[in-house]
Amino acid sequence: MAEKLREQQAIPVSKVQRAAKFISTGAKVGGNYVKHYAKKMVNPSMDKEELHANNASDIYNSLSELKGSALKVAQMMSMDKNLLPRAYQDKFTMAQYSAPPLSYPLVVKTFQKHFSKTPEQIFETFTRSAINAASIGQVHQATKDGKKLAVKIQYPGVADSVSSDLKLVRPFALRLLNMNEKELDHYMAEVEEKLLEETDYVLEIQRSREISSECGHIPNLKFPIYYDEYSSDRIITMDWLQGDHLKEWLDTNPSQKSKNQIGQALWDFYHHQVHNLKKVHADPHPGNFIVQENDQLGIIDFGCVKVIPEDFYQGYFALIKRDLLMKEEELNQIFYELEFISDKDTAEEQAYFKGIFKEMIGLLGRPFHVDRFDFADDGFFEQIFKLGDRISNEKMFRKSKQARGSRHGLYINRTYFGLYNLLNQLQAEVDTTKPDWLK
Amino acid sequence: METTEAKKTTKKDYRKLILEGYKTHVLEHGIAPKSVFKFAKDLKMKEEEFYNYFTTFDSIKSAVWLQIFEDTLLQVESQEVFKEYSAREKFLSFLFTWIEELKKNRSFLLSMYGEGSKNLVSLPKEANEFKDKFKDFANEIILEGKETEEIASRPIISDRYDEAMWFQAWFVFRYWLDDRSPRFEKTDAAIEKSVNLAFDLMGKSALDSFLDFAKFIYQSK
Repeated sequence: MAEKLREQQAIPVSKVQRAAKFISTGAKVGGNYVKHYAKKMVNPSMDKEELHANNASDIYNSLSELKGSALKVAQMMSMDKNLLPRAYQDKFTMAQYSAPPLSYPLVVKTFQKHFSKTPEQIFETFTRSAINAASIGQVHQATKDGKKLAVKIQYPGVADSVSSDLKLVRPFALRLLNMNEKELDHYMAEVEEKLLEETDYVLEIQRSREISSECGHIPNLKFPIYYDEYSSDRIITMDWLQGDHLKEWLDTNPSQKSKNQIGQALWDFYHHQVHNLKKVHADPHPGNFIVQENDQLGIIDFGCVKVIPEDFYQGYFALIKRDLLMKEEELNQIFYELEFISDKDTAEEQAYFKGIFKEMIGLLGRPFHVDRFDFADDGFFEQIFKLGDRISNEKMFRKSKQARGSRHGLYINRTYFGLYNLLNQLQAEVDTTKPDWLK
Repeated sequence: METTEAKKTTKKDYRKLILEGYKTHVLEHGIAPKSVFKFAKDLKMKEEEFYNYFTTFDSIKSAVWLQIFEDTLLQVESQEVFKEYSAREKFLSFLFTWIEELKKNRSFLLSMYGEGSKNLVSLPKEANEFKDKFKDFANEIILEGKETEEIASRPIISDRYDEAMWFQAWFVFRYWLDDRSPRFEKTDAAIEKSVNLAFDLMGKSALDSFLDFAKFIYQSK
């Protein structure tokens, strides 16, 4: 009994407060629906876009106050644009840029814990407030020996709250994404694993170094240097990459040639990782890229790296072969291997899902079917969104008890959607290189 | 710390010896010493000598609390940046540092307060002296906060802010006693969140406007 009482005294700050936050959001979202239908009675022509916009902003507000993993989920959802109605996307993309900052005393305390020194004792200058918010931490700018540095500090307790945060997000994801429960759990398990990895800054530095050195030969890419002596499992110190975020850079109206160069660097970066290294920076959101002078692309934040298992790689990328769409037998075989369909499906389900997946692959593989692809083509993206919308509203999908697709696919899909999206924002035309066995 | 104390008078040394001796006894035996006689004997001093410094065991415990508090203040004020902090940041900084100081005595505190921590809702009497000192410190912060308008002056309630901050510090202490997270990260998060909440509540908010409006409606009826 005593034990129980103590437990309960300990929990409230985090869990109950967080839950309360979500409940209040839930209520607001509910309210938005009521408002929507009330308005609709007056003005029947009103469409659902406005409702989505209201919901998105309420959900975003609540998520960004929670920080940590919930914010990360918002980011994830904003990446999977195919899964979300348009209005949510813009709002969620904001989650990638801003979250309320940590107090400076806590920053000092974190430094003292890890280095037994205050930031002022280590660096020549150190900004009191955060320059940038990362999803599970914040970035301060510092100088040392005349060098500008970026110091990323993780929010305390994030690692501990990943699992409970995800449980809280679950009902919302269920409603927002129109997924069935099985599918969502499938998805969440992978997300949880990756999120826990992201809280390990030592691992992040190690991976950053690996990938940066292995991609160093690719033209027009720039990677920061990491400093072990000022890093720990909660703090990362690296070079400050001078330049603009993609969005800011695009506002300066760069030439098409510049945009193509950045786009190509991006494509080459991913091509090399996926096909040669078999591990990939799986977080291609705009905040992780910085455009420097002479159209060089700086890459930061290797928190989320997906290692691609060999057998999954073979099956998954075989799908982008153009002639595959003609060969029924071979295609079915791959669908089975990737767990898109299984023996538990009825004949009707099998036929239906085969059709849908074939359509998806045909669409998503399109850039690979040609030598050079123009990602400025909004029509192509329109088709993807439409297909996504259609799928999320299909009864067959929601009724289906199976989780579809190998779990490895989640982050690979996300990576490619992210990449396509960035290239679309860039309005870039790139050489869509592919490995020899896929030609 | 050891060396600076040693340089001072021998009188101080005895005080220190008793404090440390008491802590060691609790740590090694898991309970407080049975009698002053036995305790003094273990320290190789006469019982009457003991009473020159402390009169009861409770006053030793009280001194432990005070020492932790004073060490914390020293630490906090030695930081250059502390003077530039806002009231909110000062209080945060105090709590973060306090937890660090408590950590040095965690085993002692756990064996004193860990088991019956649910009873700690009411304050052990030996912490009273610390409480008074803490409230002096809290009042300084509150005064400063009022000057910079971080904290709103409200009739009746604002006189109790020091009590609220004490309650919060005590909450943090209890939270920390039960904290099982590595490096007590959860306690850090608890401090950050609860102080932000407290200062948001103490600051000017929609509530004040609401009360003001309600008063207006009531009076102009």
